[in-house]
Amino acid sequence: MNKADAIEKAKKVKYVILDIHGIMTDNTLYYTQEGVKSEAFSLHDRLGVKLLTEAGIPVALLTTKISRADEQMGKIYGIPQERLWGQGAKMARVDQFEAETGIKDEEICYAGDEMIDLAVMKRVGFSVAPSDASHEATAVADYVTAAGGGKGVVRETAQFILQAQGKWDQITEKFK
Amino acid sequence: MALEKDLNIAKEKATKIKLFCHDIHGVLTANNIFCDIEGNRRYGFWHMDGFGDLSFMANGINIAFLDTTSIDGEGLFRAKELKLDKFYYSVTNKMAKIEELKKEMNISYEEIGYLGCEISDITPMQKVGFPVATADAIDEVKAIACYITKANGGRGAMREICEFVLRAMGKWESWVEVVTKKGYK
Repeated sequence: MNKADAIEKAKKVKYVILDIHGIMTDNTLYYTQEGVKSEAFSLHDRLGVKLLTEAGIPVALLTTKISRADEQMGKIYGIPQERLWGQGAKMARVDQFEAETGIKDEEICYAGDEMIDLAVMKRVGFSVAPSDASHEATAVADYVTAAGGGKGVVRETAQFILQAQGKWDQITEKFK
Repeated sequence: MALEKDLNIAKEKATKIKLFCHDIHGVLTANNIFCDIEGNRRYGFWHMDGFGDLSFMANGINIAFLDTTSIDGEGLFRAKELKLDKFYYSVTNKMAKIEELKKEMNISYEEIGYLGCEISDITPMQKVGFPVATADAIDEVKAIACYITKANGGRGAMREICEFVLRAMGKWESWVEVVTKKGYK
């Protein structure tokens, strides 16, 4: 990971796509005694999403299947339903997105942590992995966050992008 | 105690397996129970361990949960989510169950792998061809394992051993390609 390169790449970002499990969650699925599944998200990331959105950089979530928990978190984070993408074939979903919007690979930031994310991480302009991602993911990432999954990865990524683009001070002013 | 493992021997043994067995707590979980003030309990499972189990099955290696430790059926919830066909709940005698599976699948001990962490795992691990211990297993278990994962139980041990085995078999790269194109479900 070369920080100067990462900053150059982050400057071009217009759209952020995030994997959910291991990025916005701490990799753990909690089952209650009744068999109800739940996950732990970070409130730091809520601010991260809001800062990016405020700066005109939309955030989308891309995972194999969007659960009701993901929908609920979408509401809390302020990510609209149409940007919750449930599809296992992630490359195909990014192809579709680019065809619809005209946004290019180098204008996309993608955060992933696993094998299923590697192809997308390699094609986009700015790829991010949490510190506790699989070693394959941290090896290809342009930027590896200090935070582990579910512990503020999105907040940190947002700060990195907005500082690279020189928008940080202006955007955060509104949240002070 | 023999905690230094010969990777080449482990790889050689890993290439032979057709069945991989493990318990629930301490392997798929970090041995934690979360209990709220009303007494409601919940259990944490490492998300990508599911990828480990699914990857084994997709590559022709059967998975058997030999659940001796579930309290509320949490192992069952996890097995259902992964759509496992070999799930054994409330197993009292792991060795007898392994014998049964061995006969049913018509395989030898050499073709069985096992991921363990506790006293109850020692007997099966002494028998099977590819015994593996989690990083936080007890020393007796680590001593008889031919490989020790870097990850603790409930922190990706299953994901790690899956990659180790499929790499040893030379199947990992092609599997990753499939997963990348189609997703893993």
